[in-house]
Amino acid sequence: MSSSELPVTRAEVRRAAEAVLDHPGADAVEVVIGAASSGVTRYAGSEIIQNIARDELQAFVRVVVGDRAASAATNQLDAGHMTTAAGAALEAARASLPDPDFPGLPSPAEVGEATPVGRWDDDTAAASPAQRAEAVKEIVAATAAGAAAGIYETGAHAWAVISSEGIDCFDAFTRCVMTCLADVGDATGWGDDSSHALSEVDAAGAARRAIAKAEASRGATDAEPGSYDVVLEPVAAGTLLDYLSYAGFGAKQMLEGESFFAERRGQGVADPSVTIVDDVRHPRSVGIGFDFEGLPRQRVAVIDGGVATGPVSDLRSARKLSEPPTGHSSGSAEFGAYAANIIMEPGHQDLEELIAGVEEGFLVTRFHYVNILDRPTTLLTGMTRDGTFRISGGEVAGPVRNFRFAQSVLEALANVRGVGRDLVALAPEFGSFGSTAAPALRVDGFHFASTTSH
Amino acid sequence: MSGGELGGLLADAIDAATGDGAAYADARSVESQSQSLSVNGPTVETLDYGDSTGLGVRVLVAGAWGYAATSKLSRDDAVRAARTAVEIAHASATVTSAPVELVPEPAHQSEWSTPVKKDPLAVALEDKLALLTDATREMGRRNEIRSARATMDVVKQQTSFLSSEGASIRQTIVHTGAGIEATAVADGEVQQRSYPGSFRGHLGAGGYELIEAMDLAGNAAQTADEAAALLVAPECPSRVTTVVLDGHQVMLQVHESVGHPTELDRVLGMEAAFAGTSFVGIEDLDRFHYGSEAVNITSDPTSPGGLGSYGFDDEGVEGRRADLIREGVLVGFQTSRETAVKVGAARSNGTMRAEGWENFPLIRMPNINLLPGEGSLDDLLADVDDGIFMATNKSWSIDDKRKNFQFGCEIAWEIKNGRLGRMLKDPRYTGITPVFWGSCDAVAGPEEWRMWGTPNCGKGQPGQTMRVGHGTSPARFRNVSTGVST
Repeated sequence: MSSSELPVTRAEVRRAAEAVLDHPGADAVEVVIGAASSGVTRYAGSEIIQNIARDELQAFVRVVVGDRAASAATNQLDAGHMTTAAGAALEAARASLPDPDFPGLPSPAEVGEATPVGRWDDDTAAASPAQRAEAVKEIVAATAAGAAAGIYETGAHAWAVISSEGIDCFDAFTRCVMTCLADVGDATGWGDDSSHALSEVDAAGAARRAIAKAEASRGATDAEPGSYDVVLEPVAAGTLLDYLSYAGFGAKQMLEGESFFAERRGQGVADPSVTIVDDVRHPRSVGIGFDFEGLPRQRVAVIDGGVATGPVSDLRSARKLSEPPTGHSSGSAEFGAYAANIIMEPGHQDLEELIAGVEEGFLVTRFHYVNILDRPTTLLTGMTRDGTFRISGGEVAGPVRNFRFAQSVLEALANVRGVGRDLVALAPEFGSFGSTAAPALRVDGFHFASTTSH
Repeated sequence: MSGGELGGLLADAIDAATGDGAAYADARSVESQSQSLSVNGPTVETLDYGDSTGLGVRVLVAGAWGYAATSKLSRDDAVRAARTAVEIAHASATVTSAPVELVPEPAHQSEWSTPVKKDPLAVALEDKLALLTDATREMGRRNEIRSARATMDVVKQQTSFLSSEGASIRQTIVHTGAGIEATAVADGEVQQRSYPGSFRGHLGAGGYELIEAMDLAGNAAQTADEAAALLVAPECPSRVTTVVLDGHQVMLQVHESVGHPTELDRVLGMEAAFAGTSFVGIEDLDRFHYGSEAVNITSDPTSPGGLGSYGFDDEGVEGRRADLIREGVLVGFQTSRETAVKVGAARSNGTMRAEGWENFPLIRMPNINLLPGEGSLDDLLADVDDGIFMATNKSWSIDDKRKNFQFGCEIAWEIKNGRLGRMLKDPRYTGITPVFWGSCDAVAGPEEWRMWGTPNCGKGQPGQTMRVGHGTSPARFRNVSTGVST
């Protein structure tokens, strides 16, 4: 890890934290610092339309007074700004209300010491605007039969948690993400790739997949809404897993009765072929080795062989459950714990074998604008996008116009009849410390509620 | 750092950019202060202050854009950002076919501020927490309520904008809001009710007077009662019927099915890979029947009190009202200086905004307003023999061209012979945008019209979250598909 490319160094965060760890009047102080140095080249109509570079940083100072805590943020690391933030947090904590459930700040003796994941690549951290433009040129060349739109992003990210109780964590990662929507006039197709290392991202290959998918989508016909057997490509499957995690993998949601874990913890909720873990150290994950309380981020099997074995927790929810914390604080007491590094364990079939198992149904490339309709039942809605195809007699039989789906994710996972062997990482949101990787899935009885005109 | 010192950095950045060959440059600094409170029952869950300052430099070199931003506030850092922006623009120019052109805009020298009666950052924290806990205590009196939450948000943002054309603009914008939310749980069923709106209540442009006018505690009991009642209410049926929507749901309907599809960058395909495009095109201007004659919608940063109320956008264009839909016909788009060229407009209508200093400005909705019609909500209901009244948005989803949508609301009531009947849970409706707006036969009048706010509108890559305003009143739609078949 080249310190010259780090957006903030360990020494810089240590120096900033030391300005406030002994803040007068505070019983305990915690400093969380996140920094990024990144570039995003955005293209549409096969030309670059926006192109940015930015250096950014946030320091969150949490001050504890008895059983009360408050935090203040600044984006300047000098002692003056840090002290001002600590003073504001102290004043707020004093004005706040007693919180008998406040778990306090952890110490390494209590929760263990986190080790960094270190998913870092010097070349990615140092990537120049010219390199990003060259990658876009390759994408545009590979999609010359249509128009291309998407991003090519490179960046370096660092996080630190330091506290007066001895927590001292620092980790950094790099990330290269490309997406490509190919448009051939009456149809679109999708391809993406991402990794912590620029050299592992095959931009031209993803662009070729996008244009091939667009060409294959021309002349789409109508299809009737209804329940069908489907094959979800990894990007589509991963999107459902992301929303499942958001809807119900956290202990706070369980404790408040809003997660499926509230009623079904320890029960079978999915087909036995379904195992979903949160594991930041998996080779396809990108993230940091600790959570936002400085706890080691544990590997948690949230659904293991179809059984609901989670949830993930932070200090507060773990204490309420009388269980050890799993190290998944989201940094928001309002939201609670969050499973940020989702991996669904792959199976043994390739995409063609999954398709061959469907007599009459549909192949879905990806979903668009998904939202939660009912949290406890994990009922979601959203649209298909950029390549939806009829399957007939175990073969892809032509494109269809997009569907709106209305489907419980847990019901879909209970109806899994095949799991793909290739694990694919979703193109993550910019700057996210999270990641999701999923295989393709064959699901019986997936519900499409309506169609649209394209 | 003072405003004058920041202004000096911006001037240095513009000099450096033009000195390095930029044909156009603008520089923008943003200083923001925020406060976020969340109380759940008697517990303070969130008590966060935020403070952020930085600057961004946008340049045109060889007809292509470059943008660089930094939170480091020395002269050297500002000049470095400008030079990085020029380097980026050179790279952009290697993958462009036609140079970017900008419609002209006077070089404004001006200041603008949100009218504020009571500075929300100066109000004592103890008073704010008391206001929130009074409401959560009242909601928590019902046994069915598992979570009684109250939130408050304040953002004060000071922006300085300088351009190589000579513009010099300073704006201070203050957004303030609060809300309460009761979540009732029984037998695996979860129901939620919010006031005055969902997703952190209601935010607007103004000071603490907005929160004091809400009477959160006075509305807490009814909020909790309705959440509890929803647990045992019958489900909203799947049928085709007349639907009346309250102003809050009309807000999101306008946002998703009119606001986004009339952003000209979406129409031109610039957002195709992420948020999507639009079902309308430039060729549809002045011809396409978007809705019925009752539908009149404007883009209007000059309407007061909204999250999109401002004097100037983030490329120095004076905010002004533009008609988007007039008597049901599409007559305008939300534009920028770059995209206005594509529709032959003489000026941009001033809708370019960026989240913070770190982002490139995009076309973002200011206040997208459904103009009022006539009559009260009761008048709308009176003309319905058999239908459903839905209130307060709960969920939303719409396709990448903004055509096929589905919305869910927190609560509904049957309408029978012009009056509200039984309460219904899980109300949802689906539609196709121009068909739905074409079925709008009445919009309630000025007495029902109010400015709502959406604080979480996402767009762009890197993702930017924008606060957006929508003035609406309740509206009636015929032949709408309700429920959702699962």
